[in-house]
Amino acid sequence: MRLRGWWVFCLPMLAWGAPVDPVPSVMWAYYHQRFLDNAPFLFDERVKLLAPPFAEDARQVPLEIDARAFEGEVVKILAWAELNPLPQIVDFQPLERVLPWLSIRIRIEQATPLRAAVLTKDGIWHVGSTLIDAAGGGCTAPSVVRTQPGWEDHLGEVLGGRYPRAAFSRLKLQVAHPMDNGMVSGIPEFFINQAELHGVNNQLLARLELFPAVSENPNLAFDVEGAGPTRLTLRDTSGSQFEAAIP
Amino acid sequence: MSQRWILLWLLMLSLPVLAELDYGLKPRLIADNTWVLEGSTDNFAKDNGGNIVNVGFIVTEPGVVVIDTGPSKRYGEALRQTIAGITDKPVIQVLLTHHHPDHALGNQAFKDVPIGALAGTTELLHEQGDSMAENLYRMVGDWMRGTEVVMPNQTLQPGVKSFGSHDLQLLQLRGHTGADLAIFDQKTGVLFAGDLVFYQRALTTPHSPGLLIWLADIATLQGLPWTLIVPGHGPIATDAKPFEQMHDYLTWLDQLLRDGAAQGSDMPELIRSPIPERFAAISLSRYELIRSVTHLYPHYERTQMQPINTQQ
Repeated sequence: MRLRGWWVFCLPMLAWGAPVDPVPSVMWAYYHQRFLDNAPFLFDERVKLLAPPFAEDARQVPLEIDARAFEGEVVKILAWAELNPLPQIVDFQPLERVLPWLSIRIRIEQATPLRAAVLTKDGIWHVGSTLIDAAGGGCTAPSVVRTQPGWEDHLGEVLGGRYPRAAFSRLKLQVAHPMDNGMVSGIPEFFINQAELHGVNNQLLARLELFPAVSENPNLAFDVEGAGPTRLTLRDTSGSQFEAAIP
Repeated sequence: MSQRWILLWLLMLSLPVLAELDYGLKPRLIADNTWVLEGSTDNFAKDNGGNIVNVGFIVTEPGVVVIDTGPSKRYGEALRQTIAGITDKPVIQVLLTHHHPDHALGNQAFKDVPIGALAGTTELLHEQGDSMAENLYRMVGDWMRGTEVVMPNQTLQPGVKSFGSHDLQLLQLRGHTGADLAIFDQKTGVLFAGDLVFYQRALTTPHSPGLLIWLADIATLQGLPWTLIVPGHGPIATDAKPFEQMHDYLTWLDQLLRDGAAQGSDMPELIRSPIPERFAAISLSRYELIRSVTHLYPHYERTQMQPINTQQ
């Protein structure tokens, strides 16, 4: 019933060709300009942005971005949390053999719309959206990593695994890093901002730029077609580089 | 004139707010001298004031022993009035089953009474009490007015503690929060299981040290010579069904997380997992699955991952 009323309300907008935002947002126009440079876009249900309806732990909110409907067409995927003080999450470019699918955990500061914008080769942004509720405080909460004695000794340690599925392998990674976002008093920005996946012969499979909305001890998962070892390279804002290999 | 109308409107709008919030507590005699106030199996909400919990009291010869104090100052006060309506005897002891806000935030109404808890419970309440209370203000609103954390002032040791003819066996267990007290009345056979037992209401895991530890606790409790089980949440039972349901649910949840980790599933996938039909009658199972995956899955995941650094 409510949905029907809502559509009636939106009909005039449809008639004018204005896209109908699937989530209540006060910030869309701003981010359209800031991150997408006012380029042509669609709110597109084929981009699935999957998150729980509420953040049980606002410091570790699991997201799944699924743009496999556009397999072979994806140039890059941008994700952000609209009402975060630091909204950007990731710029993900799946290049070779890596599916346009990404699992990542993030911090949110309050209930917010989440967006995943997928740029396809025809120059159109396809925007997937969802809403998440939260008690809040995920971005300004003190680091858990930094309370653990000796955390520096484990900096950059990577845990990983390869999990064969029918048509691809799931690669999962967890990196020991505080991912300081600069919002906790007295602790400057210090986070992993670049990641690359390479295949055999150093072939670049995927490139990621990470932003401080990514949770501490970042978790990432990729779906990769074909066999062979995969190498992960990470770099943080202090210039340290970490490498790992998944057989 | 128009200002008067506005005033009238404001008055009408505010009347429901001014109406006294009343928990309407209805004590139920479940065994000799033993009473329970049964809460709903819903989540914390503004329409239930956080009364989602089972609270009990035993009227012993020297006085009343209260088991948990409820979610708010208002609840604690209502509980105390309810007790006074049943007996003239004084309240002589509060026993807290664990530190969660729905069980311990009524403490303010019992400041003049020894409030006993396991040492671990006091420590957890000290660490987390304020933030848990804040969260309840957010979820249930005005019912919480004036509620503050009051710390236990007595440390309980496992063993038998006697109040008149009621010998209460105190069990120190861990599965739900790391410090969980179960109380078995050897006189009546009533087992106050605290939140080690949820029945027809999905169990919660924010501070659980592990589902296998919890399963072991269930076996311990089931082995007692109980005649009646008072779960922390959900209906009272005279048969073993609450234990069977807990065993079934904990085993299922553990296996789900174990399988997910072995297959490399991510959290959103697990959150969408089908919930078996046999758990259909359990309130809030999807909601609690979302929470439990967040709490517990990282540990399961790590058991299925290896260090893979090639250089530092």
